Amino acid sequence: MTQEELTALKADKTVDARGTSCPGPLLAAKKAIGEIDKGQIMEVLSADEGTRRDIPKWCAKKGFEYLGTLEESGYFKIFLKK
Amino acid sequence: MTLALFSGSVDKLTAAGVILGGAAAEDMDVEIFVLLQAAFAFKKENAMTNERVAEITDKQDEFLASLKRLNAPHWTEAFRKAKEMTNVKIHICGFAGKVWHGEKLEDFIDLADDICGIGEYMTAAEESDINLFI
Repeated sequence: MTQEELTALKADKTVDARGTSCPGPLLAAKKAIGEIDKGQIMEVLSADEGTRRDIPKWCAKKGFEYLGTLEESGYFKIFLKK
Repeated sequence: MTLALFSGSVDKLTAAGVILGGAAAEDMDVEIFVLLQAAFAFKKENAMTNERVAEITDKQDEFLASLKRLNAPHWTEAFRKAKEMTNVKIHICGFAGKVWHGEKLEDFIDLADDICGIGEYMTAAEESDINLFI
C-alpha cells in the first residue's frame, strides 16, 4: 500500500508496544492477533528499528498480509491484515 | 529448537531470553537443557540477585543500567513469557544441579519443569532443526 493509503487506513486494533524492546513488539503483536478476526487490520506501534523488519517476515511465515509501515516521529506504525 | 544453556551470566541469559521470544512468536517447540553455570542462575536464591556478566565485564554497570533504560524484562520474565506463549520445556541437568547443591526440582525457580540426564538432551537435539549452545 502507498503511504497515503496507509495514512487513511483505519485499524481494527492498535497495539502500542513503544515501551518495549525487541522482541517485545513482536510478542505483543502475536498476542493481539488472536484477538481480531480474519480480514481485520491491526497496527503495531513500535520504536524498535528491528521490529519493522521482523513483522513482515513474521506475517509471511504465519500467513498474514503485511500492508506497510508508516514512519512517525520516533516510532513506526506497522500495518497488517489477519 | 533445542538450547543447551551453559551460561549463568545475565548477559547471555538475556540473549537467550530474546531468542526464546523469537521462537515464541513463531510457535516453535523449545527444549532447554540447563547445564553447569546456568544451573547456578536457576537456583531460587540466585535467580534475581545474580548480576554477573560473561563478556565485556568492565562495562557491567553500563550494561545492567542499559537493560533498565530500555525496559528490557529480567531474563526470568522473558523465559516466563515465552513459556506462556509457546511450548517451552526447561530441564535441569542432574549433575549441574548437584554442583550447586540443588538436588530437587524445588531448589530451582518455578520455570524449571524437571531434572534430567544428558541422554534426554541428545535425543531432543537429534530431533531438532535448530540446536543452540549459549
